[in-house]
Order: sequence, then structure tokens, then C-alpha cells
Amino acid sequence: MSLLSLRDVHTFIEQFHILEGVSVEVPQGSIVALLGRNGAGKTTTLRTVLGLNPASSGTVTFDGLDITEQKSFDIAGMGIGYVPENRQIFAELSVEENLRIAERKKGELEEKEEMIFGLFPDLKRLIRLPGTNLSGGQQQMLAVARALVADNRLLLIDEPSEGLAPVLIEQMMDAIRTLSEHTTVLLVEQNFIVASRLAQHYVIIEEGRTVKAGEMADLVDDDETIKRYLGAA
Amino acid sequence: MTSTTLDQSAGLGDWLRRRRGLLASFALLVAFPFVISIIVDGQGLAAVVNNDLGNARFLQGLAIEVFILGIYAISYDLILGVTGILSFGHAMFFAVGAYGFGILLKTFELAWPVAVLVVVIAAIIQAFLFALVLPRVHGITYALVTLGFASVFWIVIQSSDLADYAGAEIGLQGVESPAWFLDTTNERFIFYLLCLGIFFGIYVLYQRIVDSPAGRVFVAIRENEDRALMLGYNTFWFKTLVLVIASITAALAGMIHTMHQPIVTPNVAGLFWTVTALLVILIGGMGTITGALIGAAVYRLLEYYLDRWFGGASGLLIGAAYVLLVLYVPFGIVGTWRARAVRIKQGRDRLLRLFTGGDDGRTPARE
Repeated sequence: MSLLSLRDVHTFIEQFHILEGVSVEVPQGSIVALLGRNGAGKTTTLRTVLGLNPASSGTVTFDGLDITEQKSFDIAGMGIGYVPENRQIFAELSVEENLRIAERKKGELEEKEEMIFGLFPDLKRLIRLPGTNLSGGQQQMLAVARALVADNRLLLIDEPSEGLAPVLIEQMMDAIRTLSEHTTVLLVEQNFIVASRLAQHYVIIEEGRTVKAGEMADLVDDDETIKRYLGAA
Repeated sequence: MTSTTLDQSAGLGDWLRRRRGLLASFALLVAFPFVISIIVDGQGLAAVVNNDLGNARFLQGLAIEVFILGIYAISYDLILGVTGILSFGHAMFFAVGAYGFGILLKTFELAWPVAVLVVVIAAIIQAFLFALVLPRVHGITYALVTLGFASVFWIVIQSSDLADYAGAEIGLQGVESPAWFLDTTNERFIFYLLCLGIFFGIYVLYQRIVDSPAGRVFVAIRENEDRALMLGYNTFWFKTLVLVIASITAALAGMIHTMHQPIVTPNVAGLFWTVTALLVILIGGMGTITGALIGAAVYRLLEYYLDRWFGGASGLLIGAAYVLLVLYVPFGIVGTWRARAVRIKQGRDRLLRLFTGGDDGRTPARE
């Protein structure tokens, strides 16, 4: 059964028709990669799920509930976490404050402390520093760590490997694998190698429409599809 | 598990230790009138308590004006500096307190605690009015809408139909002090202490608010409201809370203003009074809270002394002073100090080592 389901979703940003029929199924306990070229509508799809760019038609359901017209904070409260692209941590808050603000109940950070600092040991050392003093890679780790603080049932992760050094990409992939043991993940990733190593399923979006979906194992061998929609081979 | 990495809440002792500077400033300001009385006026300590004329009494009055401006500016800093809500109607928050308290005391002859309560309720209602438009407009549009609210208020209090209440364009005058400790004319030192206490109380309260979990959400809203929403925070209610706190605080400053000044003019509801709050927090350091208080002192003292020394040319000099401050202290006094504190501390340590013969003054190599 799908934990998250988008059916023929259309989204406008101001007068621009960005999503023109996106359908995505995210089975419980899986990692689904949302693939497509730049400007295809991947990030808008995530923002539509989150209610930040609400759908004008179509339906978004989470665990069987229609969340198409729900407010963003209610959607987050249902257990959907978001790791945005370009980190978007709170630059003036310290590392601890960035983590603390993600708590949905008191003491949640203390409960997860061991797991979070086990995945990202650097953050423990930097705990008192303001977010703005962190390097790009550290900020990305903080953005992912923040999504781990609350008990999310679904994580939407946008371009986690963007701008990271290869060694940090490996660390990030380990972290996503670990968190996917407890959480379902919808992953937007430009780096096809990263996406193919993490995800079991894929959905390809082209010009705001879903054009192909299936098992990742099948896509890895489908050079024609990869070349046609993702520009890589 | 017991965390050793994460910050643990500290006790009263630690709180007091960390606020040594604040407590010392408070003690200095309590002693300030006595010091002036002895050194400048050549009078005794009793002159302060007896409300004798002199520099001590006058400077207490000037300090009260700084406290009022500080309380007013700190409320604007919470809205704009901490939470990032651009409002051009902040003067209305102050004016509702100033006019409301005066009218309730003078025309309706209410007991002062009842008048305070009514003003607080009015402040909460006007905060909800300002919050009402929050979901629809943002940024400069919100600023213009709030300017519209304040402009309507400014026009209404000057209308001749309300002259019996608000004194039309002349302003509200003749409000008598409702209690001995609110009598700035006959009990200047007591009123000074009261204002000083409120000033520091508000400061500590605001520091606590900004350091609280809700305060972190306020900062998060300023930095990236979408992210705050996605962490599950209903940012509308947090922004409403900020407006309520700021509205009550500014109204409190307005009430003290009514007690301290012989006349409440419509200027306190005008755009210039909002710009004054903006200037104060720009001088002190936006979003720093402490900066609002320091900025208020710099602004009021600069305004007073330049006017006293240079008369008509003071406006030009004040303008030049602001330009210099913006150029050379770009994050305000407190903001720039914090930004450069590490370098200043390194320089001070190097200087100390030079004098104490610790080393040759060069930065030690990393181990």
C-alpha cells in the first residue's frame, strides 16, 4: 500500500502552470527517487505535497488521508519531514538550536542524540556554532539531521548530494540508508548514480508531467530511458 | 539518556553570573542621580529624594525619556529585528497606550489599575487587527497596510469631533497623576526608579522570550518562514503572539509617556515616531534586543545635546551622525560589537600578553 500518493496533480506558481499532471506512488518502507532534468518540476512536486505550493487540481493522499488542501504545518504535524535543497538551515541559530527547533515534543532531541551524532559526528563538535559558520557539507548534514529529530513517517529529501565532495556524498548516502530503515523516503536527486544506489523505485517527471515510473533495477539497465529523460547514460 | 553535549538549563546563580554587566548597569543607574547631585550640583544625597531642582532632577527626566524610547524601540525590535515583520504602523501601538491611558484617567476618571487593564485589552485587540492581514500580505505590502491603520488612527485622534477627549491637533493635556509613585513632577526620583525597573524588567523578559523555544521560532520565521511551517509551526499564531507582546509593550511605553509629559501630541501616532523606532534599532543593532536600549540612549542624548549646543544646525548634524553610524557601524553598535568581538578579544589578549611579558604579542601557533 502507498504511504504517499499523488494523482494527476496540477500546480500553478502565480500564473505559471508548473505541474501539469504528476502522479507518484510512494510505497510504505521504500525509497522512491523522483528524477528529471532541471526545471522538470521535481522540487515543486515536493512543495505541493507539503502545501507550500498547493495543488490546483488532482489529489495528494498520505496514509489514506486527503491532504491536498491541508495547511503546511498540519501536513508536517502528520509526520512528513522535509530536507530542502540548498540546505536552508537557520543561519543565525546554533547547530543545537537548529536541531531543537525540529522537536515536536520535549526531549526528542535527547532521545535521538546518539543516533544523530553517530551518523554525523561533526555536528557534535560544532554544536554551539551558528549555522552560518558551517561549511556547505556540514550544513547539508545539519539539514538531514534536523529531519531526524522528530518521528517522521515520510521524509522528502531534495538534492542531498548537491555540491558535496565525494566522501561526503558517501556519508550522506549512509545516513539516508540508515534513516530509511525507519522512515519512507521520497528523494529528489540529480545524481543518477546516487539515486540508483539508494532507491528501489523511480518516477521520472518531464515538463511537469509523470512520464515513466517503475522499479529502479529495471531503469538501471534501460539506457535509452536514462539518456532520453535524464541526459545521462 | 543523559545528554552531555546539549545545553542544560542553568540555575539562578548561573543566570546572575552571566548578567553581571546588566546588574552593574542597574546599580549604576540607581546611583546616577546621587552622583550628579553631589558632583555637578554640589548638593547632598537628600536633594535627590526631596526632589530639589538641579541637574540631577533634570537628568533623571532625560533618562526617563530614554527608558520610554528604549521600551518602545525594544518592542519594534521584536517585530522587525527578531521576527522580520516589516510594520510601518508601530507608532499606533505606542499612541493607543499614551492616548488611551490619558483619556481613561482624565475623561472617564477610572482608577489607574483599571485604566491599565483597559489599555492592555485595547493593545491586544489592535495586535489582532494587525495580525488579521498577515496571511494576505507580506513585506512592503504589509508595511503599507499597517501604515494605513496608523494613519487612520492619526487622523481620528486629531479630529475636532474628538477634541473633548484627545485635544485635536494640540494634543491631550491636563492628565493628572493618579498615584504618588506616578507623579513625575513631585516624586521624580520614585518615578525614575519605577521607569528604570520597568526598563530592565522588560529587557530581561525580552531576552528570555528570544532565548525560549518560541523565540527560536520567531528567528526561524525571519530567516525562512516556509522552513518554519515545514517543521510544523503555525507561523501565523507565532507572528500574532509577537504582535501582542510588542503591542502591550509599546502601549506600556505610551502610558509612561503620558505620565511623564505634560502633553501627548498627535506626533506619537505619526510615521515619524515609527521611523524613530527604526532609527533607534538601526543605531543599536537590529535583532539584538540590547541594541534597542543602547540605541535609545544614543538617539535621545545625541538629539538633546546637539540641539542644545548647535540649535538650528542640529538637524543637519544629527543626519550626518546617522550617515556616519550606518557607514562605520553597519550592524548597529551591538551587532557590530558582536561581529567583531572575537577580533577585539584577540587584540586585547595580545596587548595584555605584551604588558605582562607573556610572549612577543604574536598569535600563538596552533598545536
